[in-house]
Amino acid sequence: MTMGPSDLDAILTEVRARVRKKRESGEYGPDLDAALTLPLPGGRPIFSEELKDPFQALPEVLDEDIAYDPKSRKRYVGPVITVARRTLIGLLRWWLAAITERQERVNQLVARALFDLRDRPTPGLEKRLRKIELWHEDFVAANLHSVYFQARFGGDEPVIRRQSEAFVDLYKGRSRVLDLGSGRGIFLQLLKEHGIGGYGVDLDPRMVAQCREKGLEAHEVDALTHLRQIEAGSVDGLYARHLAEHILPGELVEILRACRRALAPGAPTVFVTPNPKTLTVGAHTFWTDPQHLRPIPPDLFKFYLEVEGFTDVELRTFEPSERRLNEDVPAGPIRENVKLLNETLFGDRDYAVIGHAPK
Amino acid sequence: MSNHVFALRKKIRHWGYDSFAYAVEAKPGVADVRSYRRLFREVKPDDLLIVHFSMGSEVVDQLIKIPARRVLVYHNITPPEFFSGINPHAAAFARLGLRQLARIAPAFELGIGVSEFNRRALAQAGYEETTRVPILLDWEHFAVPPNEAVLARWKGLRSVLLFVGRISPNKRQDDLVRMLAYYRRCIDPEAQLVLVGAFRDQPQFHARVVALIERLGLGGAVHFAGGVEDASLLAYYRAATAFVSLSEHEGFGVPLLEAMRFRLPVVAYNAAAIGETVGAAGVLLQERDLAETAEAAAMVGERTELREALVAAGEKRVLDFDPDKVAERTRQVLGI
Repeated sequence: MTMGPSDLDAILTEVRARVRKKRESGEYGPDLDAALTLPLPGGRPIFSEELKDPFQALPEVLDEDIAYDPKSRKRYVGPVITVARRTLIGLLRWWLAAITERQERVNQLVARALFDLRDRPTPGLEKRLRKIELWHEDFVAANLHSVYFQARFGGDEPVIRRQSEAFVDLYKGRSRVLDLGSGRGIFLQLLKEHGIGGYGVDLDPRMVAQCREKGLEAHEVDALTHLRQIEAGSVDGLYARHLAEHILPGELVEILRACRRALAPGAPTVFVTPNPKTLTVGAHTFWTDPQHLRPIPPDLFKFYLEVEGFTDVELRTFEPSERRLNEDVPAGPIRENVKLLNETLFGDRDYAVIGHAPK
Repeated sequence: MSNHVFALRKKIRHWGYDSFAYAVEAKPGVADVRSYRRLFREVKPDDLLIVHFSMGSEVVDQLIKIPARRVLVYHNITPPEFFSGINPHAAAFARLGLRQLARIAPAFELGIGVSEFNRRALAQAGYEETTRVPILLDWEHFAVPPNEAVLARWKGLRSVLLFVGRISPNKRQDDLVRMLAYYRRCIDPEAQLVLVGAFRDQPQFHARVVALIERLGLGGAVHFAGGVEDASLLAYYRAATAFVSLSEHEGFGVPLLEAMRFRLPVVAYNAAAIGETVGAAGVLLQERDLAETAEAAAMVGERTELREALVAAGEKRVLDFDPDKVAERTRQVLGI
């Protein structure tokens, strides 16, 4: 066996898994954390450490006393040196006091200026931030009347139900399945009907209210925050239908990482999203929702899960296009071409990437 | 004074030149080193003066007035931030050294960094001609039987974590101690940490690390071996289960290569020149996480296959710093 960068990656992955396991089992608890961050006794921390958090260190350093012991411990000449030092200190006292006094003033002024800068926002920052917010609102057409939009373009409840039903079996026997972006609670309802415990989170308060009216558990919180808040391993299944296309790739990766912590080992995980491999989806229907940020090619999504350690990752496409070219033509090149065109243009409109949380 | 100087002197003499080592302040007991004062009368304009620089000194400004070809070898200066508040004296000399490094740049025809990290520092300090030549290692002084007493004490224990380097705030022995707290709680309650290295220069830091050990209840688990002779050092490398470095500043990191040479797997936090010295022949940690460091050290100690792979990679890595190759390169850049 020779070592390569990938071997090192594997070692580090296992190292992290070991640490995580010990954290989860409670072996590596807060008391050990305290030991690992115990300050060096006997004085100030190493200055290079303080530099990492100067605002915390600054007030303490400013208040620090400097002790100087003029006593010399040398044999025979010690007392003479001590007297000489004391005399010098006496002679220089007022000059040194003037210098240190000025330095003290400089230090106080600089510290005050820094704290003020930190606490008082930069002039114009608010305005610039608001501009960015506006840009984002425009980007996703946040001013659109969502109720009308839903009525015109929103999915049909029976259709969504039929689609979701295909995945229910994966969660058989699970007791706490999390539906990210639970919407009207169609999947939660299905889980309930099959005797599977579950709950949802959604950003839209109206959706959360609808769920609660139906007696389903739902919380108004964004996916990533929620995943980071809950206890490690406390969820034993995850379902996220049409969530991934509403967020940026980096956030998706963060969600997967947070899932890794939040999910019990082996928990089934399903993400459903439009299938841009079908060109009529990727080039057209995907964009009928202005809140869609970018399409995710199925192979890329599969890779995202694999690279975060999810196991047995597979892709499943569904929802065939309604209109297709007629394949009822004489066998031979023409039929092959028509088939290829159908596949490329009029293939399945959605896909699911299915995996299991890392063990 | 580093072994590098003596190894270099040996090579230069071997090439048929007269070569002498001079020191501003030589450790007592180091034979055959001349006082720097003799430089002023002994060096002739045709001579080559190789200045090894790693700390500020009052005499540097005088040295550069000696008429001769002048080359600087930079071993790096520990940034003063590590000493500030702990050892004001060392901090002041480090600051002085950094200022001097820049000030004396025009006096040298060439600046040699013993690592790319050091070479970059030289270029930043204003050295026009810079190059990298690694430290010239001399394996011959390890051609001794390992110290039996050390082997008998440490060999065969399940976890003996070793770090070799002066006890100094930049080497972060304090974090090694904290890491041991995790190791003993979560991996092996009998684990031992051996810190080889002189603590003469940094008594304040040493005392505080000792206090930390007491505070963490690790008395008896951390062994300060002090500066040791080659036979003992060899025995420590042979007896340990992993070499662990959490050092935040190294200009090169000779002990990393010594560990590899003596078949000890290396786990190191990647800082300063450490990454380029270790290469892919050790577990290089990009994030400073003590728990992960401990687990990595345990893994390389326990897994035979992994250990063998790292040892093999380490032995191969050492060949990249083969003394003959380095000597040849030195000769080339010095133009002798």
